[in-house]
Amino acid sequence: MVDWLTMTIQMVSLAMAVWCLVSTFRDQPMLVPHLVGMGVLWLLVLGQVGAITVAMVGGERPGETVMLVSYLATVALLPPACAVWGFMERSKWGPAVIAFACLILPVLMVRVEQLWSPVV
Amino acid sequence: MSEAPDPVGDRTLRTGPGRLLVAVYAVFALAATARGSYQLATRFDEAPLAYGLSVLAGVIYLVAAVGLARAGRTSRLVALVSVSVEMIGVLVVGALSVLAAGAFPDDTVWSHFGSGYLFIPLVLPVLGLWWILQVHRMDLDAART
Repeated sequence: MVDWLTMTIQMVSLAMAVWCLVSTFRDQPMLVPHLVGMGVLWLLVLGQVGAITVAMVGGERPGETVMLVSYLATVALLPPACAVWGFMERSKWGPAVIAFACLILPVLMVRVEQLWSPVV
Repeated sequence: MSEAPDPVGDRTLRTGPGRLLVAVYAVFALAATARGSYQLATRFDEAPLAYGLSVLAGVIYLVAAVGLARAGRTSRLVALVSVSVEMIGVLVVGALSVLAAGAFPDDTVWSHFGSGYLFIPLVLPVLGLWWILQVHRMDLDAART
């Protein structure tokens, strides 16, 4: 697990949430820049998921492996799923979907971090 | 009333605010089902009622999400029923978890009116019912003109 990557994902995710909320209130639909932003966020998340997977293959084991893997699958799928669902909607509610997803993602990342290195 | 076969509701339940509602419902369906089934699988003996309730809540969220997303007349009814069950569920379980805390040794999504989830489980059915009603009205208006 790359520590600074979790922090970066959370920051980028919150920035995306703010941006999309602004778009929602300005009555704009999702545009290509939003999609590019989600793509960057997704790559960061995949990087972290990859790093954890490599560490797990290398022998490191968290306490609750099944739980961690299901969380990893969720964070890896959340950005593309919400981006598609939001992009299909050609009104201000498209960015609202992305904003919601980008507000959940940091929380999920906190859970992933707790599962990976539980506070003893 | 010439284009009657295409009622407004067929398209609108999943568009606009409905788009966001479906997303939120889908996330809650996943969260509650995953949490409940994991707990049922690993610690069934500790609190079968609480974990079973979590799974049930997850399934209801899933039915509501699909009902909202599919957006036909029947789906709207399905969504209406599941969202209503959810409203009753969060109120009853929320009240019980406060009044009879012993019955729930471990938390569910609905415990304490969903306080562990920022009270979203309490607000969600209200928004869901409002939206279904709104679309139903639009549909009636469209049928009248």
